Amino acid sequence: MSLLEVRGLSKNFRGLAAIGDVSFAIAEGSITSIIGPNGAGKSTLFNLITGYLAPSAGEVRFKDRRITGLATNRIAELGVARAFQIARPFRELSVFDNVRIGALFGKAGPRDVEATTRRALELASIAHLATQPASALTVGQLRHLEVARAIATRADLLLADEPCAGLNPTETAAMIDVLRQVRRNGVTVVLVEHDMPSVMEVSDRLLVLDAGRLIADGPPPVVANDPKVIAAYLGTPDAA
Amino acid sequence: MKQNPKLIAAVVVLAIVLLAAGPAFLPPFYVRVGQLMLYSAGLGLAWAILGGFAGYASFGHSAFIGIGAFAAGLVENQYSSLPPTLLLPLGLVTGALCCAILSAVIAYPILRLRGTFFAIAMLGVSHVGAELTNNIDFFQGALGLNFPPLAPAAMDPAVFYYELFLGGALLILLISWLIRRSRFGAGLFSIREDEDTARMLGVPTERYKRVAFVVSAVLTGLMGVIYAHSLGYITTDSVYRDDTNLSLIVYSLLGGMGTLFGPVIGAGLLVFITQVILGRLLDFHLFATGLLLVLLILIAPGGVNGLLHRKRRPA
Amino acid sequence: MDLIAQTLADGLVLGGIYALAAVGFSLIFGVLHVINLSHGILVLLGAYLALLFSEALHIDPLLCIPAVMAVLFCIGYGYQRFLIQHAVDRASVNSMLLTFGVALMLQNVMIWLFSPDMKSITPSYAFNSFKIGPVNFDAVRVSALIASLILLSLLAAFLRYSPMGRVIRATAQQTMAARLCGVNVRHVYALTFAVSAAFAGAAGIVIGIILPFSPNDEGTWTLNAFVVVVLGGVGSPAGALIGGLLLGLVSTLTAQYIGPAFPNVTMFLLLVLLLLVRPHGLLGNAFAPSR
Repeated sequence: MSLLEVRGLSKNFRGLAAIGDVSFAIAEGSITSIIGPNGAGKSTLFNLITGYLAPSAGEVRFKDRRITGLATNRIAELGVARAFQIARPFRELSVFDNVRIGALFGKAGPRDVEATTRRALELASIAHLATQPASALTVGQLRHLEVARAIATRADLLLADEPCAGLNPTETAAMIDVLRQVRRNGVTVVLVEHDMPSVMEVSDRLLVLDAGRLIADGPPPVVANDPKVIAAYLGTPDAA
Repeated sequence: MKQNPKLIAAVVVLAIVLLAAGPAFLPPFYVRVGQLMLYSAGLGLAWAILGGFAGYASFGHSAFIGIGAFAAGLVENQYSSLPPTLLLPLGLVTGALCCAILSAVIAYPILRLRGTFFAIAMLGVSHVGAELTNNIDFFQGALGLNFPPLAPAAMDPAVFYYELFLGGALLILLISWLIRRSRFGAGLFSIREDEDTARMLGVPTERYKRVAFVVSAVLTGLMGVIYAHSLGYITTDSVYRDDTNLSLIVYSLLGGMGTLFGPVIGAGLLVFITQVILGRLLDFHLFATGLLLVLLILIAPGGVNGLLHRKRRPA
Repeated sequence: MDLIAQTLADGLVLGGIYALAAVGFSLIFGVLHVINLSHGILVLLGAYLALLFSEALHIDPLLCIPAVMAVLFCIGYGYQRFLIQHAVDRASVNSMLLTFGVALMLQNVMIWLFSPDMKSITPSYAFNSFKIGPVNFDAVRVSALIASLILLSLLAAFLRYSPMGRVIRATAQQTMAARLCGVNVRHVYALTFAVSAAFAGAAGIVIGIILPFSPNDEGTWTLNAFVVVVLGGVGSPAGALIGGLLLGLVSTLTAQYIGPAFPNVTMFLLLVLLLLVRPHGLLGNAFAPSR
C-alpha cells in the first residue's frame, strides 16, 4: 500500500486546467521530488493534497483513506505536514516553544512532548537555537524551523514547498541533509524544488509536471534524460 | 537561570500573608486604594486570558462586570431572607452562571471576527448590555439595585471587601498561571501569533478561543459581583463603563501584554496614578485614563515590558 | 397602514441624518484605514459648539454650520497630523486605542464644561409640522434631513470632481504610488481627517436640533457610524447614505414594533450579523481596486 495516492486529480480555474489528470503513488520511506518549469502547477498540486484547494476531479488517498475534501487541519491531524516556502513561525515564541506546539497538538497527541520536541530540533539541526526567539532567525534557519515543527507533529508525510528557495549553497546542502535525516527517521518526504543538483542527489524518484500534466515519473537518471522533460525545460531544437 | 522552587513558594506565601495583613497597618484611605488595586488587578488578569494570551483584545469587557453584578443583585434581593453566608455564594454562582451562559452563546458568532472587528463588536456588547439594563424595568438599572450588607459584624466592611478582592485576585492569578503552563495555554499563544498556522498544526483553535472567552467572562463577572457588594448600591453606569473597558486594555499595555504579572503591574500603576496622585481631582478619572493611554501609545507601544525587551534584544 | 407609512417615513428621515453622522467616520476608515473611536465625541463637539453659538448670537442653529465646520476642520487637521499620525503603525489597534483615549479625555472635559445633563438646541420653528398624505413630517427633522442631504452631496461632489478630492481618492487606493507621484501623504491624511471632522461637527448640529444629547452619548454615535459603514460600505457618501437609511429604518421599525428600548440592540445584532456575512457592506470599499 502506498502512503499517498493521487488518482486522476484535476483542477480548473475558470477554464484553465492548472492540474490535468495527474496520478501517482508515493511509497513509504521515500523521498520524491516534484519538478517542472515555472507555472507547471507544482504548488497547486500541494494545495490540492493538503486541502487548501478542492479538486475539480479525481481523488487523493492517504494511508488508503480518502482525504479529498477534508479540512486542512483534519488532514494535518491524519499525519500530513507541510513546510512552507514563506515560513510562518510564531515570532514571539522561542524556537523550542514553536516546535513544542507541533508536538503538543500533533497526530499522536501530547505524549512525551519534551522528548519529541528535542528530537525534532535535532533532526532539523537547530537544537542550538532552541532558546532564541523565532524572530531572530535567518531565512534558512526559519526553513529548518518549519521542518522541525512539522515533524514534531509526528506526521508520516512531509510536504516541503521549495525548502531551498533563496538559500546559498551551504544552506541548501544543510537543508538537504535535514531532509535525509528526516527520512531516516521514518517520515516520507515529498518536495517541490528547483535546485537541480540537490534534487538529483537526494531523490529516489522524480515527478515532472508541465502545464498541469505529469510528463515523467521515475528515478532521477532516467527522468533527466527523458526527451519530453528536456523539451519542457529547454524547448525543442526546431522551436529555437 | 533555574530558581529554587521552595524559595519561590516561600516568597509567594510571604507576599500573600503581607497583602492579607495589610489593612491592619494601613489608614482607611489606603485600604480603599488597596481594594481598587486588587479589583483592577483581578479584572486585568481575567481580560488578559483572552486579550493577552489569545490575542483577542476585547474593548467591551465591562459587559461581564455588569452582567455578573446585576445577576447577583437581582437574585440576592429575591432571596434576601437567607443569611449572608449563603447570600454571597448565591450571588457569586448566579453571576458566574449568567456570564458563562451569555458568553458561551455570544462566543460563536463573535469569535469569528478578528482584530479590530472583534474589538468593536465587544464594545457593542458592552453598550447593548448597558442599554438593556437601563431600559428594561426588570433589571432596575436606571432605578438602581441595592445589595444586602454581607460583612460580619465584627469586621470593618472595607477590610472584609479588601480580603474578598484579594481572594478573587489570587484565584484569577492562579488560574492564569495554570493556563500558561498548560497545553491549552500553549495553544492560546499560538493562536495569538498565527491563528491559521496554529490550526494547521492541529490546535483546536475555535474550541480554545471559546473556552478562553468564557473563562475570561466568568472571572470578570465574579470580580464584578464582589465589586457591586462593596459599593452597596449600583446603577447601570456603576458597572457598564467605557473607562473600565479601556482600563482593562491599558493594564496589559502598561505592564506587558501577554505576561503573567503584566496586568497586575499595570493595574497597580494606573490605580496609583489616578487615586493617589490625582485623587483630589475626582472628576477627572476619564481624562486621566485617556491621557495615560495616549502618552503610552505615543511613547512605548509595548508597555513597560516592551521597553525592557527592547533594551535586551541585540541590535 | 398609516402607522407603517409613518414609521417608514420617520426611518428615512432619521436615516439621512445617520448617514451624515457616519460619513466622516467612513472616509477616515477608507482613506487612512483608521477606526476613529473619537468620532462620536467630535459629533458632540459640533452639537455643543452650535448650542453656544446659536444662544450667544441668537441665530438659527443650522446657520452655525459653516462656523462649526471651520472650527472642527482645524481641530481635525491638528489632531491627525500631530497625534494620530504618530500612533499609526502596522497594528491598527494602536490608532483605535489612541482615539478611544482621546474620546475619554474630551468626554470628561465636556462633562466638566457642560455638565452631563441632556441638552438640546431648539430652533424657532421647533413645533411646526406638516402632512403629506397620511404621513406627518416634523419641520425640524425635515430641515435637518435637507441639510444632511445637501452636505452629503457637497462631499460627494468634492471627492469626485475637485482636484483635492482626486488626490484623496488616489492616496486611498494606492498610497505608495501616490507618494511616488509627489503627494504629501501626511498632508492628505490630515486634510481628509479635517474634512471628516468638519462633517462630524455638522452632523452634531443636525442631531442636536432633533435629539437631546449629552457627553455620555459619544459611544453610541461612534458605534452608529460603524454600523452604517458596515451596512453600506466604506469610503463613499453613497455608501453612508444607503447604510444610514437602512439603519434609520431598522431603528424606527424596532422602536415601533418591538419596543423603544431595543433599537440599539437590533442595530448591534445587525452589526454582528453583517460582520460575519458581508463585512464590506452593500457598496463595498469605495477605494478598492475595481475588477
